[in-house]
Amino acid sequence: MAELYVKPGNKERGWNDPPQFSYGLQTQTGGTKRTPLTKRVAAPQDGSPRAPETSGPPPVDHPPPSSKASRPPPMGSCPASGVDPPSSPVIESETLIEDVLRPLEQALEDCRGHTKQVCDDISRRLALLHEQWDGGKLSVPVKKRMALLVQELLHHQWDTADDIHRSLMVDHVTEVSQWMVGVKRLIAEKRSLSSEENKEEKSTVAPENQTIPGFQPSS
Amino acid sequence: MATYLEFIQQNEERDGVRFSWNVWPSSRLEATRMVVPLACLLTPLKERPDLPPVQYEPVLCSRPTCKAILNPLCQVDYRAKLWACNFCFQRNQFPPAYAGISEVNQPAELMPQFSTIEYMIQRGARSPLIFLYVVDTCLEEDDLQALKESLQMSLSLLPPDALVGLITFGRMVQVHELSCEGISKSYVFRGTKDLTAKQIQEMLGLTKSAMPVQQVRPGQPQEQSAVSSRFLQPVHKIDMNLTDLLGELQRDPWPVTQGKRPLRSTGVALSIAVGLLEGTFPNTGARIMLFTGGPPTQGPGMVVGDELKTPIRSWHDIEKDNARFMKKATKHYEMLANRTATNGHCIDIYACALDQTGLLEMKCCPNLTGGLMVMGDSFNTSLFKQTFQRIFSKDFNGDFRMAFGATLEVKTSRELKIAGAIGPCVSLNVKGPCVSENELGVGGTSQWKICGLDPSSTLGIYFEVVNQHNAPIPQGGRGAIQFVTQYQHSSTQKRIRVTTIARNWADAQSQLRHIEAAFDQEAAAVLMARLGVFRAESEEGPDVLRWLDRQLIRLCQKFGQYNKEDPTSFRLSDSFSLYPQFMFHLRRSPFLQVFNNSPDESSYYRHHFARQDLTQSLIMIQPILYSYSFHGPPEPVLLDSSSILADRILLMDTFFQIVIYLGETIAQWRKAGYQDMPEYENFKHLLQAPLDDAQEILQARFPMPRYINTEHGGSQARFLLSKVNPSQTHNNLYAWGQETGAPILTDDVSLQVFMDHLKKLAVSSAS
Repeated sequence: MAELYVKPGNKERGWNDPPQFSYGLQTQTGGTKRTPLTKRVAAPQDGSPRAPETSGPPPVDHPPPSSKASRPPPMGSCPASGVDPPSSPVIESETLIEDVLRPLEQALEDCRGHTKQVCDDISRRLALLHEQWDGGKLSVPVKKRMALLVQELLHHQWDTADDIHRSLMVDHVTEVSQWMVGVKRLIAEKRSLSSEENKEEKSTVAPENQTIPGFQPSS
Repeated sequence: MATYLEFIQQNEERDGVRFSWNVWPSSRLEATRMVVPLACLLTPLKERPDLPPVQYEPVLCSRPTCKAILNPLCQVDYRAKLWACNFCFQRNQFPPAYAGISEVNQPAELMPQFSTIEYMIQRGARSPLIFLYVVDTCLEEDDLQALKESLQMSLSLLPPDALVGLITFGRMVQVHELSCEGISKSYVFRGTKDLTAKQIQEMLGLTKSAMPVQQVRPGQPQEQSAVSSRFLQPVHKIDMNLTDLLGELQRDPWPVTQGKRPLRSTGVALSIAVGLLEGTFPNTGARIMLFTGGPPTQGPGMVVGDELKTPIRSWHDIEKDNARFMKKATKHYEMLANRTATNGHCIDIYACALDQTGLLEMKCCPNLTGGLMVMGDSFNTSLFKQTFQRIFSKDFNGDFRMAFGATLEVKTSRELKIAGAIGPCVSLNVKGPCVSENELGVGGTSQWKICGLDPSSTLGIYFEVVNQHNAPIPQGGRGAIQFVTQYQHSSTQKRIRVTTIARNWADAQSQLRHIEAAFDQEAAAVLMARLGVFRAESEEGPDVLRWLDRQLIRLCQKFGQYNKEDPTSFRLSDSFSLYPQFMFHLRRSPFLQVFNNSPDESSYYRHHFARQDLTQSLIMIQPILYSYSFHGPPEPVLLDSSSILADRILLMDTFFQIVIYLGETIAQWRKAGYQDMPEYENFKHLLQAPLDDAQEILQARFPMPRYINTEHGGSQARFLLSKVNPSQTHNNLYAWGQETGAPILTDDVSLQVFMDHLKKLAVSSAS
């Protein structure tokens, strides 16, 4: 499960910088989509403005717009639609470095048969991860999601693991960019290793047929 | 079908097409009298989750000059296994594979619901996508760091088997060799000397293998020549080394003395990037991605000198013919853009700087190749970071929303000819019987190349009715157009999308009502706007406005109902009622007005206007305004100063900016902190509602817009005030005798004045 949050843009460097959405929010598909705000009102043909149709007379207890010490807004329910902001995940117990690093090192050992160069490179990056973790340079969300990633790796959920790696790269690139690429490669190596092992058992699955109805030319 | 509105919407969803006219005037003379040309907005790769591609090849008409594709409009003789082409009436034999065809056993392409169909072609070489990063190192430390991180991040988003390469530039240009051996090497070029493609290829040692692409055999997409692989490597092989290489990138080491700009060799760097791909991967999907933080200051393509005391050209300089480097630089980039288009590659520009970076001179690179243009203040902003991430977003199938090397071919019934296209394309100069001599946009051809496109890329295509006056309504009563888009899908497959549409002909004298009712004013506004912006690139601003005004007056004369010389009697029917206000806002838009915009900004706005779909284009012409209050749910309101009320919150979307504006009372309430009191939770919700809606827009928009949160009296309220119709100004406020609305301090004419003049001119027999 990716993080869902919106953080403000970098107002110091960018003029009116928009807020930044987390990877999870950006890749979220459908479901909550509301009707897009694309309606517009036609001006009357003489072009003169008219009072907004639905505005009507303001409620009696409505504060006068010019009053300096403005009266409070009306109480009660608000007709405006709103979406509850996603609640931040509750922080549980601290993630231990051994729980993350040991399975990664084990995975690396499994791949040792491959090019030495690649393994050394990965190993160097795991060392970097170790160093940064020990040095307290990694934030809690990064640690927690690394723990999740490792779990997925152990369960051979390559796609999920890869997706967590991607979300970490997008959301926390400053923290993780130096060593994450090693983890990424490890996922890829493990994936190809397991597909080699499974080759014999693997049954050839027919490619999914198109779903267009009717006659299909036989060419 | 209940109404034309439904018909139009249904057609757009199914075929990605919006026509200005949905019933066509049957003669040339009548068509010219309609003022707005017969034209359409075509979104060739509109997302169709419900349309899986078929896995066979299209059947073509056997007439060599036609080659139209079998479609639901063709007459079929099931017994004789023959089909008649609906464009040239040639009778064709079905291929042997269609032997089993019958009335109850039809191929998909004959069924009416498949007016749009996509074919997946299995044959032919498949080569991986290519991403060549061209990175400016004359950046501030903070910016360079952010850019490096974004590039490192992108390696996780790219398809694993995509090829990636790196060129960096400052005073020198470095082409980096990518190898797994851990020693990084690079070829260094001087940034002042223009090199021919051949020289570049020789210097990079690329000439040994003459045609590497042909060595790529089908089924073995990974195989490539060892020569090019020094510079372009699959992401999955090189990601670790490239991450380090990017991490170690330093700012350009050449000293920059006070009062000088850094020497930036953008022109040569781009030239080398184009030459590198030209020599190694012609005609396969590739993106050259230029990241730059300032203007080119030396060598071919320089836009400004390195003396800071000489500012970069402004509109004023251009008008006074005082932009020294503009013509030469533009020529350099046009040459590069044309070569890139010929190679089937595209060029993106990501320009992040507070001052101008030369987009005006470089705009042809993305505009002619279907590349992207992104403009921001700094690489260390969410605007850049998220825009960049979204380039690698995926569709419902998990495929990247990008396609490459497309060819769009248009075929028409005999009564129609093709006048031209406006969009991110170049002409392929294919003449033919259906090509008109009268050009609108890029004309003189029936085929265009679109080197880079995505599901929203939209072209305006213009036609000419050539049927003679008094000739009978053409046979069958309907005219047809076929759009054939061949492209490389992001999965590297070759695909062909075919859309065939037909519309009824009508006699404009006896059936004007039908034609009128089938007018699509939204499409017409965008199509006319594209023509106007296309003209504005080469003509003086006032001329374009005069032309637009003239067209509008003629349209009102033709379709308005009025008594001669009586402006008060003037009326437009529903299908035309919005058109004048679209034109009013278009006249004020940054696409036609350069005032208050730099030449780079104008280029940026026009770039996006010429490639977005109808909905987005219309937002650009006339921004959307929503109002939030305690009186009811959020509602769209007039883009008018009268909508700015004290007890409202407004949300304005101009495509490039999202503005949230709190009315006076709302702002006071917020200042008093009512939103924090539990008994006024409703007020908290009211404040939150436009923020949530803005977020939805922000999440879907590409590129990321600027986000402005302001209130009554705030300096940034100007973004709202400059867009609304100034129906109340300092001149007429008291005349209205109203307290509502906000007066705008402007001498611009209001929509009311504009309409008064329009009516006067429309009903006048003199004009």
